[in-house]
Amino acid sequence: MVRLITHNLLACHAKGCTTNNFPLQFKDVSIELREAELNPDFIKGFLPRIEWKALVDAARQLGDTTLPSEMPEMVDDEFLKNLHHVLLEMHVEEGAMICPNCSHVYAISNGIPNMLLAEHEIA
Amino acid sequence: MYSQYLCQFAQVHEQFRIPELMSVSELHGFNIELPDDMDVTRPFMILGLESDEHARILTQRCILVKSICEFYARGKTYEELHMQTRADPSKWARYVENTSFKMKVTAYNHSIPQTRARDVVEDFSYMGMLGKIDMIQPEITFVCYEEYVDKHGTTREKHEGDGEFREVFFGRLIDEGSARRLVKSFDVKKRKYYGNTSMEAEISLLMANQTLASPGMLIYDPFVGTGSMAYTTAHFGALFFGSDIDGRQMRGKAESPGIIRAAAQYGVDKRIIDLCTFDVTQNPWRCGEMFDAIVTDPPYGIRAGAKRLGRKARPSGAPPRTVAPRSESRPDDQPYIPPTKPYELSALATDLILLSRYLLRHNGRLVFFLPTVTDEYEEVDVQTMLCEGMEVVANSLQDFGSWGRRLITIRKTSSEKYAPPTFEPEGRRLELEKADVASKHVPAHKDFRMKYFKKFNKEDYVA
Repeated sequence: MVRLITHNLLACHAKGCTTNNFPLQFKDVSIELREAELNPDFIKGFLPRIEWKALVDAARQLGDTTLPSEMPEMVDDEFLKNLHHVLLEMHVEEGAMICPNCSHVYAISNGIPNMLLAEHEIA
Repeated sequence: MYSQYLCQFAQVHEQFRIPELMSVSELHGFNIELPDDMDVTRPFMILGLESDEHARILTQRCILVKSICEFYARGKTYEELHMQTRADPSKWARYVENTSFKMKVTAYNHSIPQTRARDVVEDFSYMGMLGKIDMIQPEITFVCYEEYVDKHGTTREKHEGDGEFREVFFGRLIDEGSARRLVKSFDVKKRKYYGNTSMEAEISLLMANQTLASPGMLIYDPFVGTGSMAYTTAHFGALFFGSDIDGRQMRGKAESPGIIRAAAQYGVDKRIIDLCTFDVTQNPWRCGEMFDAIVTDPPYGIRAGAKRLGRKARPSGAPPRTVAPRSESRPDDQPYIPPTKPYELSALATDLILLSRYLLRHNGRLVFFLPTVTDEYEEVDVQTMLCEGMEVVANSLQDFGSWGRRLITIRKTSSEKYAPPTFEPEGRRLELEKADVASKHVPAHKDFRMKYFKKFNKEDYVA
């Protein structure tokens, strides 16, 4: 899985890696699209918690260009549908997420990312 | 305006009944008036509700509610009961003329012989019901419940002590509990994927109700294991996020993760947002205030060891271990598995509350189980782990004899932003001091694992 909503919430947390540790960069990913039930209230409620640029960049890297570069002031149905699709319907099944700062590789296998840190990376 | 309703509970998990009623009423935004002489050990309770509609919401959602009736009368004897029923005909007079009906006579802890049941029905003839008697699809059902004391453990003749009830209740059935059948549909034995620590269906449903799970909510379980909490919360519409230090628990042996397979069986796999492998004490969450509820059954260290990243302390005098950075190419092509060390329960509990305060939105709930030693537990135990901005809503015991587990529901009352916890003793001490709790008090759940394996024999562990 690793939906983009999850990708938008995860930062590198290795010891000492506190700046430029978000968003993680996708590498060698395979994507699946799976329909999810649209809940406009959830999407609207989640909107303020989104790191917008990270979401748009990730979506574009994975081939979805429906989102505008700036978060729009007006939220219409079309926009909600696109945002829903990007947040919840794009699944990264295999590949890796790489920290832009410390280059830690977080492998994704069968849709489950391994965010465990190695012994020398924990505080 | 409250009217009186007669609620019949399933005779299990006594201490969970009121918290569940309160959670469901809070979720749907209505109030329940509890009786002054409340006795949660009895299966019947008179509740004050504003409408039949509210009663139906309770029967549709509460796992522990068997039925709710409009309350007519109660008595130690049938004379008392009939007197009260006659005294207030306004409650049932409108059904006299032309309403098909049936009357059910039943008992708790007893079975009434059919001949007497018929006599009981006949005794209500003063109501003068003119409508048709319809045993299949009546428009209304009157119910008469006799409550007997538990004759547990005694051998007796069938129907012995018939009529010697503690109290008898009479009312009009509003609705029978329909949520109880979920206990069967979530039966762990019929689940496609489960483990040796999977939570029983009934309790996981009760936990889901405590979180106020509903559509559009985002719920997180930091010790997701085999996903017991995912299925029930998602069933009620919530979106679910799970993490665990051990990815094997979430995956199982097949290609597709076990939790997703089991969720698909219940038709809720699309509501499992994601599963992640990480240690919650080294978590990658970018920011706080994301979740509407956190629900978890943390590992106590008995069947599943509570673990966090790191290594066990070296024996004193031993030279420090050198930590080598891991090399990217591993000779055996296996994924790297970092070392772990035990996570003591009272530290885990405190950390869990601090983490929840960081990750929950205002008014969000934390629902979790805390094992306690029955003989040693004191009310203050729960207070020893509370921090500023968090408040206990409910605390229900599931008793196993020498130990038990308490389902604790905590609400984040503060709307402030809080820093993530440090997960270290010093950080915990500072927080607890701020909350001005009895920091000297040692809670009964401290070192639970050690106490458990010493069979709760105090002499063995109180030095």
